[in-house]
Amino acid sequence: MGNEHHLSPRPAAWRENISRAQAVALDATLITMAMLMAELVVVAFSGRRGPTGLLFSAEQILDLLHYGWAAVGALVLALIWNLFYRRLGASPGRALVLGIPEWERDLEWTHTLRGWFVAVFIELTFFAGWLVTELDLLTLFTKFTKAADIVRGLMHPSSSVLHEGLVLLVQTIFLAFMATAFAIPVAFVLAFPSARNLTRGSATARFAYTVSRTLMNFVRAVEPLVWALIFISWVGIGPFAGVLALWVHSVAALTKLYSEQIESIDTGPMDAIIATGASTLQVLRYGVVPQVIPPFLSFTIYRWDINVRMSTIIGFVGGGGIGYILKPRVDLGEWGEVGTLVLLIAGTVWLMDIISAKIRERIV
Amino acid sequence: MSAIPDPVAVPAVRLENLGMVYPGGVRALEGVDLEVQDGEFLAILGLSGSGKSTLLRCINRLIDPTEGKVWIFGTEITALSGGALRRLRRQIAMIFQQFNLVRRQTVLTNVLSGALGRTRLLPSLVVSFPQAEREQAQASLDRVGLGDRGGSRADALSGGQQQRVAVARALMQEPRLILADEPVASLDPALRHSVMRHIEALNRDEGMTVICSLHDIDLVERYATRMVALRDGRLVWEGRADDFNRDTFREIYGEDAEPASNTGF
Repeated sequence: MGNEHHLSPRPAAWRENISRAQAVALDATLITMAMLMAELVVVAFSGRRGPTGLLFSAEQILDLLHYGWAAVGALVLALIWNLFYRRLGASPGRALVLGIPEWERDLEWTHTLRGWFVAVFIELTFFAGWLVTELDLLTLFTKFTKAADIVRGLMHPSSSVLHEGLVLLVQTIFLAFMATAFAIPVAFVLAFPSARNLTRGSATARFAYTVSRTLMNFVRAVEPLVWALIFISWVGIGPFAGVLALWVHSVAALTKLYSEQIESIDTGPMDAIIATGASTLQVLRYGVVPQVIPPFLSFTIYRWDINVRMSTIIGFVGGGGIGYILKPRVDLGEWGEVGTLVLLIAGTVWLMDIISAKIRERIV
Repeated sequence: MSAIPDPVAVPAVRLENLGMVYPGGVRALEGVDLEVQDGEFLAILGLSGSGKSTLLRCINRLIDPTEGKVWIFGTEITALSGGALRRLRRQIAMIFQQFNLVRRQTVLTNVLSGALGRTRLLPSLVVSFPQAEREQAQASLDRVGLGDRGGSRADALSGGQQQRVAVARALMQEPRLILADEPVASLDPALRHSVMRHIEALNRDEGMTVICSLHDIDLVERYATRMVALRDGRLVWEGRADDFNRDTFREIYGEDAEPASNTGF
């Protein structure tokens, strides 16, 4: 620490070539997407019918598109755009990687090819999105009757599951609490090697950063539901599996939040502590920790809040808590009982929301 | 610190051909040679961006210079690392333009943190300091006139008071050298002397060597025993405050500069 500025010779040429390649790759990707979305819209509106005589469904259209041709064509266009960027104006990829050139900064978007490309791209995204997700407002507004049963059931909660529901609600809150509490110390320790500004000093520190960040990104990318399935087959069905699933996910999520907070600290006090001759741990304790404790607390309470919500879903697959008795009642269509449980969950989440907001307000 | 030779025999600071190029290629210092004798109050002048902060931070290695060497009381700090570097840093206190107190901690804890270099690791991690250190911290606060504010949170104090806490922290460190980086530039002009006088007292009464970057010629003339000037990362002038005149001013600050009316020439 304190030795952050390490000078390495910078061979400008290969760096620039990498940037150019990045710009072309980015452009090729964007143009490919634009071309495919355009093709999708054209096919959908062309009125062509499939072999069964019916209109194509979204999946069928997606299956029909010429991905390879689009990619090749886009690559050619991207190359042309990047080669003649002086005449055509900077491409979107070039603008992102290398910045918008000086002489184009003051131009209105309508005066650049890039501006038009982005505008058309956004339009196409909405059209294609509408078609791919098969939005159908007509059905939405005319076919309500079937769902009315469910809504009626939810509006008339039955008291038969109230007792069981309350008991499992307590379990849910504790489940979320334990998962969060056990996640705090692990995330706290991992947050320091995961913070860029503390890990520039040495090769070891940079290695720790990469390992910690990669691992945490991976863990976070796996849904808590999947973690629940893993732990259920490990420790068996029940709340313990739920605690473990939420714990793993919370460690990764809190590490990210904590380390981002560390990255945004004021380095001044840290410099002052380094200057006294303090050791690395002392610098962290005096220069970093006091600055991050309040936001850490705030994030942690927020995380508990999230874990209460998540634990209901975890319960669906057998991770304990109120979700565990909700699932069979949904399957059997006992909407009155479902209504009771949903109200219990909603009430808890609403309360947790208010309480956590109040506490966080006080802390920060 | 038996590794450090007799202070009379060696200069407090010696810079040899010091140069600094930041990653990205910005050159902040070039070929700076300088000796500061023990007990001096040296002022560093220069425009913003002339390299004053970089120079000071190279002395205690908050920044690693890319060229040249730095000796502190005869020990080459640029050759040290790890524990040896930290032990030498104990001899060098630093006062910053932005005070750099730990805002959420009490004033007393901030002063105590000056002693971190000599306290045992584990007790210090739970903010537990020996009684003797606590008394010394209280005495340091008394000296800067804030003896009754030890229990306040640091950010509850005014700018001038915070900088006096920083001076107390520096005093707590028991250094032989103090680096002060524009210590009064963020303060109300009326409060500048209140801080400068305390730094002067450390120099005069405790015999601590002071290297202090300053903007204000008035302050330089009032407090410094010697001054040097930086321009574009090079040492362009060195002398006593009496030798300073309109021409040297132009030399340091450039042809377009105009001395403020109260500088006396």
